[in-house]
Amino acid sequence: MSTLIMIDQASYGTWSGREALDMAFSLAAFDQPASLLFTGAGVTWLKRAQDTAGIAQKSVEKNLSAAPIFGIEAILADRSACQKYGLDETSLITGVTLVDANRTLLDQYDHTAFAG
Amino acid sequence: MADTSSETFTLVITGAPYSSQAPQTALGFARAATDAGHRIARVFLYGDGVHLASALCTPPSDETHWPKEWASFLEHHGIPGIACIASALRRGLVNEAERKRYALPGSNLLHPFEIAGLGEWVEGRRTSARTLYFHAGG
Repeated sequence: MSTLIMIDQASYGTWSGREALDMAFSLAAFDQPASLLFTGAGVTWLKRAQDTAGIAQKSVEKNLSAAPIFGIEAILADRSACQKYGLDETSLITGVTLVDANRTLLDQYDHTAFAG
Repeated sequence: MADTSSETFTLVITGAPYSSQAPQTALGFARAATDAGHRIARVFLYGDGVHLASALCTPPSDETHWPKEWASFLEHHGIPGIACIASALRRGLVNEAERKRYALPGSNLLHPFEIAGLGEWVEGRRTSARTLYFHAGG
């Protein structure tokens, strides 16, 4: 049963994205196939070289770098949301695949979930 | 002819009582599902949803006490209600074991809720026909 965990909340200012990431890691830890899709403001998670010293938070980029270690199958980013937030391939972290977040994509998964 | 076959559901609540509608919407669904002969395998509280398991919630007397309503529903039907441990500890919801582990001044987990890990969510979705999510919205 493959699962797509979606993150549509900005990387800082709300906690639900971090809890969505924990859900994805937990699935992978229990050998359940899981991928991540960043849509809407969620694509800001994927910006390269985030500096969070000014807001006293851990960088989500560091959290996300653990995804391959946990066995997350893919990190997907919605192409149009990336354009909206001024992100292109050169400004994204490595290992991200640009996709069109549409029904065809969602149909490839048995289960989809948001954290909040 | 109506389909009377029964299904098993896992419910995930991520919205808190009194700041979101999620717990009462989920309870409405759970009551309707059990009345129709379906089974709720477990209820998993995640994110702000863990506030539903606080024994310290004290709404005004003319408002519904959602934690107690849920606790009584879970007990009546023998359904496990589980609060995610990581979400719970961050938000000040602890049982006796965690109170001792972190030397905290008190514990506040409402019976019959339990505290456990995300593995309970993974297991719930693996063994249920459907997993339904009740978010805060907004």
